[in-house]
Amino acid sequence: MDDSLIRAGIPLDLVKVLGVESRSASEAGTFTRAFLNNHMQQDSRNDARTLLTHKAVMLDFVRPKKDKSKRKSKTAKGLNARQKREMKVFHLKPEHQRYKLFLPLHELWRQYVMDLCNGLTPTCSPQFVQQKLLKADFHGAILTGTSKDTAGVVRSKCPSYVGATGILVQEFKHIFKIITKEDKLKVIPKRNSVFAVEINGFVSHIYGSKFEHRASERSAKKFKARGTIDL
Amino acid sequence: MSVQMKDKDAYQRLNFLYQAAHCVLSQNPENVELARFYCSTQKTIARRLVLRQDPSVKRTLCRKCCSLLLPGVTASSRQRRRSRKVRFTVMRCLSCEQSKTLLNHPDHQLWTERPEAQQERPKQPDPGSSVKNPPGDQTRDASEAAQSAGAT
Repeated sequence: MDDSLIRAGIPLDLVKVLGVESRSASEAGTFTRAFLNNHMQQDSRNDARTLLTHKAVMLDFVRPKKDKSKRKSKTAKGLNARQKREMKVFHLKPEHQRYKLFLPLHELWRQYVMDLCNGLTPTCSPQFVQQKLLKADFHGAILTGTSKDTAGVVRSKCPSYVGATGILVQEFKHIFKIITKEDKLKVIPKRNSVFAVEINGFVSHIYGSKFEHRASERSAKKFKARGTIDL
Repeated sequence: MSVQMKDKDAYQRLNFLYQAAHCVLSQNPENVELARFYCSTQKTIARRLVLRQDPSVKRTLCRKCCSLLLPGVTASSRQRRRSRKVRFTVMRCLSCEQSKTLLNHPDHQLWTERPEAQQERPKQPDPGSSVKNPPGDQTRDASEAAQSAGAT
């Protein structure tokens, strides 16, 4: 087939009928690379990029012969902790840690919070908003503080954490992983530090010492007033 | 009333996590780990609060490693035939090789698609499918659209 035919976008009149737009060249390129990486023979000496420069691409994925002696059961059992550690299921690869890739995620998070607090007009009571935020999800939030000179981590017992700002990517039991504007992944412990989240002028502070649960546990857990926070 | 309101929050959160996983994958198709993290969070929340998710959502999540199954990106989908008439769609997760087999049959209906399930809803307010359905379907449509666009 002609090369230009493959690269051509969807014609304009068809775009209206289908409701589908063709992607930009760079997006399509990343998709193609990921697709080829996943679907070609893994042990071939050539990687996807050298194959793309040549023309012939073999698409069939030859699966290694199954070991018939031990047949796996059909139902999934899930992974245990050791397998998770070996597979590195949740480890972000360094080449994916780019700030601009996470901006759409932040945009999605904004919409989600607006939807959660029904509009978030200035008349909303702060208690109502904070009650909602307690059970909300913070993945994709920018931990920041527009007030004064402080940002991100507002207060912490360790002075080097103060001022870190970025998009929250992963939340673990004792740790926030945020990605900063300089494309760096920062790991910040929750204990003994205070974070600020800003949505449309509402700035709410998260006291990390009280927040030491997994992201999924937080929705089921009851928060109780207990003790004070001295920072 | 209060119980239902509380559940609504949780459903919104599930919806957000599902969309976030799609968003991450559409930005960078190789960042499977983060999408998997969001989906496993979604799964754990649903398990802890005992929330039912729609089959259309459940069928796009891998049962073993919790990754989002998008055909072409993180999963391969093939048509298999067992006998002359019975055909199956086999979705295989590319990272853990777990496969799920779904029947292709024009007359086969899921319970949620049956008229009995639809009628039951007004009497017993079941936010499960009514809240979950539209956003999930939208994201699915969007992802399919993105894929067909990417394939061109």
